[in-house]
Amino acid sequence: MIEVKNITKRFGDNEVLSDVSAQFERGKTNLIIGASGSGKTTLTKCIVGLHDVSDGEVLYDGVNFSALKQSERKEIRQQIGFLFQGGALFDSMTVEENVMFPLKMFTTQSKKEMQMRVDFCLDRVNLSHTHKLFPAELSGGMKKRVGIARAIAMNPRYLFCDEPNSGLDPQTSIVIDQLINEITAEYDITTIVITHDMNSVLEIGENVIFIYKGKKWWQGDKRDILETDNQELTDFVYASDFMKKIRQRARG
Amino acid sequence: MQFIVELGRYVKLLGAVFSRPEQWKTFRNQVFKEMNTLGIDSLPIISIISVFMGAVITIQTASNLDGGFIPLYSVGYAARQSMILEFSPTIIALILIGKVGSSISSELGTMRVSEQIDALEIMGINSANYLILPKVVACILFNPFLITLSMVIGISGGYLATVFTGIMAGSDYEYGVRYDFNSFDYTYAMIKTVLFAFVIVTVPAFYGYYVKGGSVEVGRASTKAVVSSSIVILILNYVVTQLLLI
Repeated sequence: MIEVKNITKRFGDNEVLSDVSAQFERGKTNLIIGASGSGKTTLTKCIVGLHDVSDGEVLYDGVNFSALKQSERKEIRQQIGFLFQGGALFDSMTVEENVMFPLKMFTTQSKKEMQMRVDFCLDRVNLSHTHKLFPAELSGGMKKRVGIARAIAMNPRYLFCDEPNSGLDPQTSIVIDQLINEITAEYDITTIVITHDMNSVLEIGENVIFIYKGKKWWQGDKRDILETDNQELTDFVYASDFMKKIRQRARG
Repeated sequence: MQFIVELGRYVKLLGAVFSRPEQWKTFRNQVFKEMNTLGIDSLPIISIISVFMGAVITIQTASNLDGGFIPLYSVGYAARQSMILEFSPTIIALILIGKVGSSISSELGTMRVSEQIDALEIMGINSANYLILPKVVACILFNPFLITLSMVIGISGGYLATVFTGIMAGSDYEYGVRYDFNSFDYTYAMIKTVLFAFVIVTVPAFYGYYVKGGSVEVGRASTKAVVSSSIVILILNYVVTQLLLI
């Protein structure tokens, strides 16, 4: 489980996050939603340590991550898998080398063992035919799936996905969502997904946190979203007339 | 004030660069890869520039010695000294900034804006050390070879100029090249080469590593990197020359 306690993050005089507290449960797909500029990416970067928090604590299974020195964070970081919005695959490496990279850097596995793990991970994301391709030769959806394969290569305990559906067609988005959900349940890991995609929220949102103007505004699951009267959340989720009609129907 | 802040960030980056590599085997492989990219790939351009520099120095010097008072072999001497003391270590370093420095800055800048550096950091890898140290080591090890080759090719270019233009006898040139050679001149050139190699990598790496924004900023960082490292090299050249030759 990942827990954030009273996190505040300032860039100079600009307070981007104000006193955010939340729990991200293990074995569940936890979603962070919010409008652009609301602070959800900053929150995620604080959780993984790319930004140091100005105040507050980040706890990974009870360990105060934010109090650790950079060198002491390594052990926890090696248990984190991160899927970036654009994939962030290393351009100069093939798909196979990308997935093998963390294994090469942090394990003492033989080449054969690493190759077996790479084959398994790529097979898990249905990309067993792409070993020798470079990132530039992949479609957007394939890049995301390679990103997932790299993220799970080290058997992470924590998986972060930054807008995994951005730029993807609805069908591919569903494939990615299902994959994230399956991996979360299969490995019993703590998964945090940042998303704008309301399909994802209503499909896989087991624990949804709504960030509004740098504050945690609301928390619940996908069913609660249909029932809530929180004005800011409903304005965000049901922005279009189409979504408003769906909500009206769902509420009878 | 801004300069001091930038200098502080540069020193901080160097602190991160010069730490123990995560995996020695990976580090060694990267050094060889960078030697190929930054060094061997620069051989053609360095060779072309050096041969023409040597030839032009020879023709210009010879064409200015028309009084008969100064012996013709001094053309070979001047070409050798010019190539060893200044043209090969300094001019080639400035050329390398344009070729290698801008490429380092763009590469790191693109990795920054496409979140590849963040990906390394999240994995627990010291990205500055992983990405920059192999380039520094490769350049410091390979550039002396590159510059020595440039000296040899430049001096040979001068000889070819005497043969093709007939401006003076090749034997006079050859005598001048061998005349009164002081090995410290070569040592001085190598000291400059190593210092310049450090600047050629670290200054552009600094601009690329800290890029914020998108492709426009990557381009700007690359331009800034070339301008700044050229100025640093020119200043360093003056300081080292004053310290070692006076």
